[in-house]
Amino acid sequence: MGKEVTLSGTAAASQAVKMARVDVICSFPIRPYTAVMMELAKMVANGELDAEFVHGEGEHAQLSVCYGASAAGARTFTGSSGVGVTYAFETYSPISGARLPVQMMIADRTLDPPGDFGSEHTDAMSCRDQGWLMGWAETPQEAFDNHLINYRVGEDPRVMLPQFVCQDGYFVSHLPGKVKLPDQAQVDDFLPPYKPPHPLDPKKPVSHGPQIRPDQGVIMDLQRAQAFLDVPKVIREVIDDYNRIFGRNYSPFVEEYQTDDAEVVFFIQGAHALTARNAIRHLRAKGLKIGLVKLRFVRPFPTEEVAAVLSKFKAVGVVETSTSYGGAMRGGNLLHEVRAALYDAPSRPLTTSFMAGMGGEVIRLEEFYWMAEMLAAAVKSGKVGKYVYWVGFEAAA
Amino acid sequence: MFVIPKEREVPFAGVTPAPVGAQRMMITGNWRTYRPVINHEECNLCMNCVIFCPDACWQLNEAEDEVVWNYEFCKGCLVCMNECTTNALTKAHELDFEGGVVRLEKLF
Repeated sequence: MGKEVTLSGTAAASQAVKMARVDVICSFPIRPYTAVMMELAKMVANGELDAEFVHGEGEHAQLSVCYGASAAGARTFTGSSGVGVTYAFETYSPISGARLPVQMMIADRTLDPPGDFGSEHTDAMSCRDQGWLMGWAETPQEAFDNHLINYRVGEDPRVMLPQFVCQDGYFVSHLPGKVKLPDQAQVDDFLPPYKPPHPLDPKKPVSHGPQIRPDQGVIMDLQRAQAFLDVPKVIREVIDDYNRIFGRNYSPFVEEYQTDDAEVVFFIQGAHALTARNAIRHLRAKGLKIGLVKLRFVRPFPTEEVAAVLSKFKAVGVVETSTSYGGAMRGGNLLHEVRAALYDAPSRPLTTSFMAGMGGEVIRLEEFYWMAEMLAAAVKSGKVGKYVYWVGFEAAA
Repeated sequence: MFVIPKEREVPFAGVTPAPVGAQRMMITGNWRTYRPVINHEECNLCMNCVIFCPDACWQLNEAEDEVVWNYEFCKGCLVCMNECTTNALTKAHELDFEGGVVRLEKLF
């Protein structure tokens, strides 16, 4: 019955991809994601994994190789980080429009401002509206699990969508953690072989990605929009299955920590949730009623779940690790989504953005304590001091 | 639920059966401003135009032993003229033809 090993996020991802029996992998180096390709290349070279390993001449080529391979009927895997993610931007909408369940790992890296290599969600978040599923892992274990979950959801005939499976660069990708590896038989039970609707067959030739007219384009947009309306139901089913087969305890969309009597919460996705949990333990020891709500999928955004959970609290601090320069709230993108989700809620908490972990900096415990102070002060005064705080750079109140 | 009128339905993901002949859904000949014109006297049937045409608009007619041009799909890119080994192909403006694209009232 499986085994427990210590793996970094990239190594955990490579194990999941191997156990998913992927057919075609396309690589191009950029840190920090690139370690996953080092692992997979070794597996292919050692004969552990029977897959075509293609080295692309850039990220655009990586995605294009996977586009073609997926259309032909292969289960595909690729990945990138930072500017590599944005270099391939053109390919994302055609792949989701073609309804091909390509899987791409993103180990976050800043978009160069210039030449930073730290972890920041802006690379992936910039691609959030391209018709791909998207969600973050907090630990190598969750990264492992998310890869398998996403293949199953994306390849479901009711969905047929590509998936960005994200993990924070370095904080997850390069920090080892305990990972329970299941048996291959469990994975095979959970994840059946990919059945493409139009497999490559010379006897039944088809045209993929034809030129279409504007009056046809709108219909295809509508098909994708419908798929995103249908996907939450599939995610719930798949998570139930996953929890049952692998003995896990995932919520499909939002995970709550110490929220039973909480008045204020951090709303967060990805690696920094781990530090936030520790901060919350310390803060609770001092008597502050604080909890955490972690987002597991940002696309599809779980509007009802977020509204139902967050409306229980007095104040919500959205810890952003991405920018939306000039956006409605001037902070990151998550606050926009959170406020939109809460708009029709019967009771609305106070909300604010905390820009933290930007440029790839660690969010220290002290910074979470400071954020908690701001939330407590907001509850006390009945309004937030600001809609966006750049943590560590705010003049004393 | 959304309602898509019957006549506006589009196949899933835009995947269509590959046309064995011409794709009537996507006539592209009317994009043309110039067309290639062949002088069969000069043509040595090297087949470069047949091979290089991105839209398979040059085909060999074996019975007549000459290459034939498909005016409904030729976009007028003139790759064929560029690749012609004997200069049998020249370009002519669509305005020069009675049925030229610029004079069409409807798509072919």
